[in-house]
Amino acid sequence: MERTPVLRSEWLKIRTLRSLPGALLALFAATVAFSALAGVSEASDPGFDPLFASLSGVIPGQIAAVSFGAMAVSSEFHQGALRLSLAAVPRRGRWFAAKAAVIAAPALLVGLGAALAALLAARAGLGRAAGGLSTGEQVRGVVGCGLYLMLMALFAAGIAALLRSGVATLSLLVPFILVVSFVIGDATGTLADFLPDKAGQLVLRETYDGTLGPWSGLAVTALWTAAALLAGAWRLCRRDA
Amino acid sequence: MTSIDVRDLTKEFGGRRAVDRLTFRVHPGRVTGFLGPNGAGKSTTMRLVLGLDRPTAGSATIGGRPYPALREPLRHVGALLDAQAAHGSRTARDHLRVLAASNRIPDRRVDEVLQETGLASVARRRVRTYSLGMRQRLGIAAALLGDPEVVMLDEPSNGLDPEGIVWIRTLLRRLAGEGRTVLVSSHLMNETASFADHLVVLGRGRLLADTPVRDFIHARVRPRVRIRTTDPVALTSVLARHGHDAQEHADGHWTVDGARLDDIGRVACAAGLPLLELAAEEGTLEQAYFDLTGAETEFTAQHQEA
Repeated sequence: MERTPVLRSEWLKIRTLRSLPGALLALFAATVAFSALAGVSEASDPGFDPLFASLSGVIPGQIAAVSFGAMAVSSEFHQGALRLSLAAVPRRGRWFAAKAAVIAAPALLVGLGAALAALLAARAGLGRAAGGLSTGEQVRGVVGCGLYLMLMALFAAGIAALLRSGVATLSLLVPFILVVSFVIGDATGTLADFLPDKAGQLVLRETYDGTLGPWSGLAVTALWTAAALLAGAWRLCRRDA
Repeated sequence: MTSIDVRDLTKEFGGRRAVDRLTFRVHPGRVTGFLGPNGAGKSTTMRLVLGLDRPTAGSATIGGRPYPALREPLRHVGALLDAQAAHGSRTARDHLRVLAASNRIPDRRVDEVLQETGLASVARRRVRTYSLGMRQRLGIAAALLGDPEVVMLDEPSNGLDPEGIVWIRTLLRRLAGEGRTVLVSSHLMNETASFADHLVVLGRGRLLADTPVRDFIHARVRPRVRIRTTDPVALTSVLARHGHDAQEHADGHWTVDGARLDDIGRVACAAGLPLLELAAEEGTLEQAYFDLTGAETEFTAQHQEA
């Protein structure tokens, strides 16, 4: 069984479910719109970070990324859809790898595009306040933002395969991202820095302090994502379909 | 030629045996009816054959190879397990294109099977808008997609209208006529007897029968005679003398199990019995099937006294 037909089939699945391109569109719109809004707000806060403000749309945007990853996987877990898929592609590891690939690629591309558009829109609003940002910092922010959104989509995909449910995944991850991370995240402890979303968002900051830097933070998120995907693949390969 | 081989197949779900040391072979060129009451293990067996569930013991192979070892399996085996499996938000055509792409089946074939199953005119509608019968046809279209030599359908006539049932009967006969291996599950005996050449009957996961339909009818359908008379006392004694056991029924008629019309007629005539009615009352195929599976039914309604 070759790799390419499986990839083509999985990509076709993403394209032909209206909600999935819809989630990617929401990812783009939310990231750009909320970043642009942050750009026109006041920048007098002493903890103001111009790079993070320019990309702050990633906070609502990641909800769309998480939904995209969770829904792409959970569409396989209703009725006998998974049985149909695995009857067509009995090698489950290969099938799940293809699934992850067709989630990762569009999430990364849309994430990069959204980050670039968000930065341009916010810089126009921030004016001089964003003037101190170096080109290197801006490139890091945009690339990091795309990677971060891709990792969050894959993280959700892994959890959805593990829980075999999109509803369960979203009701776990959305409150986690919105509430838990917000509440305990601001009390910058040592452990909270290693939460999957908290760690990865360091790449979006101009200045950072603490144990993790921008790339090591993103690496921590990547580890969480790898763990979630492995757990999902393990459950998929071990269980009866 | 490709046959399905099931050998000592056993599947336990948390200590409960859904499939119990099952051994049978499904041969090409004929339609094999896979019968059994609900919960007998028919669907579980099909999932085991497709490598979707892992057997506790034993094996299932297709043409000598386990299903997961098949390269592009849809080109060898087509299966309908659950008509609800298609995602409601996809169009029927996209649903089939997705399956086709994974096994390098050209889109031209998608349009062919849509035509064949009578869905061509609604192919671009979302599956959500489909009736159960249309979903069933879509499931069958998916099974035929790879032009497979083995076709396995789980209750394909479910939800089909009478015209659809005639259609599926014709389709199954044609597939077998083309030399394919066809396994069709059902819990309806009469329906199955109308298209199957061979029967594999399960009860509580065990094999109850593996026999040609014709042999099943000959061996299992018992003759029975129905009699009405004005002299029941004489009737019972005459019949008892000839080794027949007559049962009386509420409306006054009698039946003799296992007896043929010719025997009873001669005996009654010789004894000068006044007969009001003498008729053959053969058990139906359905009854023969109930007799076989009765003890093996998992879910039965409490018997109601009339």
